[in-house]
Amino acid sequence: MGTVTPLRTKEETFYPGVVEAPRFSCALGGAYMSTLATFGAVPILHSGAGCGMSQNFGQNFGAGLNGAGPNGNTSTPCSCLVEEHAVFGGEEKLRDLIKTTTELVRGSLYAVISGCVPALIGDDVGAVVKEYRGGAPVIHVNTAGFIGNSYKGYEQYLEAVIDQLLTPQPVVRKRVNILGIVPYQHVFWKGNLQTIKNLLEKIGVQANMIFTENDGLEALQSIPSAELNLVFSPWSGINPARKLEEKFGTPFVVIPSVPVGPKDTSAFLRFLVRRLQLRRTRVEKVIAAEEHRAYRFTEYMADIAMMALPHAYTAIVADTGTAIGLTRYGSNELGWLPEVVVVTDDPPEEYREEIINHLTEGLESAVKPQVHFEIDSHKIRLLLREHTLQLVLASSLEKHIAVDELSAMQVSVAFPVYDRLIVDRTYAGYRGGLALMEDVAYKYGGPL
Amino acid sequence: MSIDLKANTCPNREQRAGAVNAYYGKASDLVQEARNGTLTNKEREFQQSSGCVLNFYLTTRVVTIRDAVMIVHAPVGCSSTSLLYREVYRRIPLSEGRPADFDLHWLTTNIDEKDVVYGGADKLRFAIREAEERYKPKAIFVLASCTSGIIGEDIEGVVAEVQPEINATIVPVHCEGIRSRIIQTAYDAFWHGILKYLVKKDIPKQPDLVNIASMLSYTWQDRKEITRLLNRIGLRPNFIPEFATVEQFEILGAAAVTAPICPTYTDYLSRGLEQEFGVPCFMYPSPVGIDHTDEWLRTIARYTGKEKEVEVLIKEEREKWLPQMEKIQNEFASIKPNGEKVEILGSLGQGRLLTQVPYFEEIGVSSPAAIIQDFDNLVLDEVQGIIDQAGDFDVLVNTFQAAELAHITRKYDPDVALTCPFQGSAYKREKGATRIHALRGDARQWSAQAGYKGAIAYGNFLLQSLKNKAFQKTMLAKTPDSYKDWWYEQPDPLHFTKQKGV
Repeated sequence: MGTVTPLRTKEETFYPGVVEAPRFSCALGGAYMSTLATFGAVPILHSGAGCGMSQNFGQNFGAGLNGAGPNGNTSTPCSCLVEEHAVFGGEEKLRDLIKTTTELVRGSLYAVISGCVPALIGDDVGAVVKEYRGGAPVIHVNTAGFIGNSYKGYEQYLEAVIDQLLTPQPVVRKRVNILGIVPYQHVFWKGNLQTIKNLLEKIGVQANMIFTENDGLEALQSIPSAELNLVFSPWSGINPARKLEEKFGTPFVVIPSVPVGPKDTSAFLRFLVRRLQLRRTRVEKVIAAEEHRAYRFTEYMADIAMMALPHAYTAIVADTGTAIGLTRYGSNELGWLPEVVVVTDDPPEEYREEIINHLTEGLESAVKPQVHFEIDSHKIRLLLREHTLQLVLASSLEKHIAVDELSAMQVSVAFPVYDRLIVDRTYAGYRGGLALMEDVAYKYGGPL
Repeated sequence: MSIDLKANTCPNREQRAGAVNAYYGKASDLVQEARNGTLTNKEREFQQSSGCVLNFYLTTRVVTIRDAVMIVHAPVGCSSTSLLYREVYRRIPLSEGRPADFDLHWLTTNIDEKDVVYGGADKLRFAIREAEERYKPKAIFVLASCTSGIIGEDIEGVVAEVQPEINATIVPVHCEGIRSRIIQTAYDAFWHGILKYLVKKDIPKQPDLVNIASMLSYTWQDRKEITRLLNRIGLRPNFIPEFATVEQFEILGAAAVTAPICPTYTDYLSRGLEQEFGVPCFMYPSPVGIDHTDEWLRTIARYTGKEKEVEVLIKEEREKWLPQMEKIQNEFASIKPNGEKVEILGSLGQGRLLTQVPYFEEIGVSSPAAIIQDFDNLVLDEVQGIIDQAGDFDVLVNTFQAAELAHITRKYDPDVALTCPFQGSAYKREKGATRIHALRGDARQWSAQAGYKGAIAYGNFLLQSLKNKAFQKTMLAKTPDSYKDWWYEQPDPLHFTKQKGV
């Protein structure tokens, strides 16, 4: 292996943004991915020519070898700005592009996403977009790569939808929206959304996934009709949830992570019984049946779990929500020892203490994880070396490091994942823990 | 046009070679217009994301240089493509000759809102020092971006200032995304930095060394095949840039010859090495197909005094591979009744146009048209040669424009469409479809395309595509098309292109 020299301790001026391989793209990337995740929506990039295609490697392919779908990658309309536009302005080019796109590309919603170049040269993108109101809706996500990361772009997309598309609706009892699951950044986003929706359906709650709903525009437009917004992250998605509360009076609750395995899933359902005033007996019946089946099936994997990986010292390197869900499942159901957790999605300072609480409290394991917030892949590598580890649940950036430098097993569960195809795989819900164990055991499986 | 290494960067392909990426017509007219100097590029009213100077190629390739660090001076998204860095070559088994000991690194300067107001020079300086301290590299590549360009970052100034305290050679690459419509300008911008900063003068010649700049859409097996062939006549390849060491760049000027795999890719480097370091070069042919591999080897042999050895090699190789090539030819010939040729349509760089059309001739298939990413006057004689050999053909020049590719694929309706992830829905069709090239780091035998071995492997690979159409047919039937019906009912893939030039 190559050598990695320790970091120097002192630096006169330190720039924490200068890092190796941070695990997200830019705000344009986040808004773009969210648009692609809205079925029927067509992104229109007002940007340099590479801003669409490059996200295909960095976001779609990075999220479990995914294709970008019918309107992503090189299928994405883009103004492909060059120097002369930077000098003379890109508005004319954008005007042509919106017109031709709406003529040529099938879509029920068009989202103009403006990037660094128009932001720097001062194009009035909002004014150009307004000219096209009338046919299929055209919204403008006013972002730029230098404004923030993918998570910011996800929120900006939803906020543009709220501001420009949504109108008040009669509230429907027992209808909720799912927020906080960020397309592609949360690599199991599709499966997570569907699992939560299906789960809620069983207890009589109608969930709007927004992303991957068959009719994306309708899903967006029905957002204000929800009784409650569920934010499945301690931080990501809270801004649009607040905006929905201000604008439509929809309250929101924060669920720290997508629940993994029976215990957290049942706790989540019981929480909804209280919050949505559901019939307790009906929900308890669902819980009993689901738990019975989940644990009966756990017996199928119990032998191999006990033989191969009992009480494993575990590192988790993931976004906040994934880290919380897997730490809790590993610690509270499988008996793993969560040694260290590295949170890689750069949550704002004000949420960090609470995230640490979610990661260290309510764990059955006597070992509580050391929690780090780190976006620098080099420093993450050095951090992991300080621990004795048997299992590393991380991104595929840790794939070879885990084996070669830590003598640990590794499974790719967080962005970026370049070593497995993730279509609708998920660790959410009653069956989620078993799915995780299937993936873990795939790496160490062998005869007794 | 000679290469000026005193300049900070190369001219754009538009200026250097009259490059265009919007044209539809006869190949002969295209060549003629380029010769007359009347060929102009056109602005598209409808355009799709197709890569930029920074992000078609550089962020995924420069990062693979083994003992260097890549710094992308840009907002965080511009380097997200580089997230593949720790894995891209690691899947190649050591038994296939992959070196065990390497460690790739890159940094982003993460240009933010504050930096676009106050400038990011301090951050870049910090990043260079950080790269040096952390990784002790032999070279540090600094890649520019749209944002660094528009806010007027003085990258040359920063590099000149910090180079004295840095052991690694710092190589600025002027690859601002907005600088050129022609993404192939990226090749030249990168080679300019290599020629200017890394290639060493006054080092002993290595008469058995052959420079080969390889785009790894040619695969690891292709490298192995080329290495095998050159070794047989006492020569060694120097493969750059992907997965090379910095030393391999330093010794480029010591080689006996620079040979092409893709002439449009290699052009600036080859000319620069000839002009500045006296390394001769040739641009044609590339080692794709049996005949062209013969010629490629013979040309190298002329520059290295291996004329006798190469004839022995070629004779042996032909004896070994020709029977297999005949089987492939026979199978292609038997697919259609009444002796018609199987038609294959693929989107290529202009370099691949020069290699693939003759290869198709060799295996006995035809191309109803050619789709090329870019066209410039660097290869006019060679394209004329193809026209003379294969007859005139229609050409669509377009850089990954998915709607145009869907249109032309339906219009010509070839038996096999060669696609890649940059061609949108063009694979959804009633007839054959397969991939045009492999994933980088693909070390499997069946992905080979170069040399004798590759000629056979790729021929068999193409034959496979005629044996089952279920996937593309199902996807055509079960998923809606991205474009409205009228698009396919009108005849012009460049329907939305403005007539006035740019």
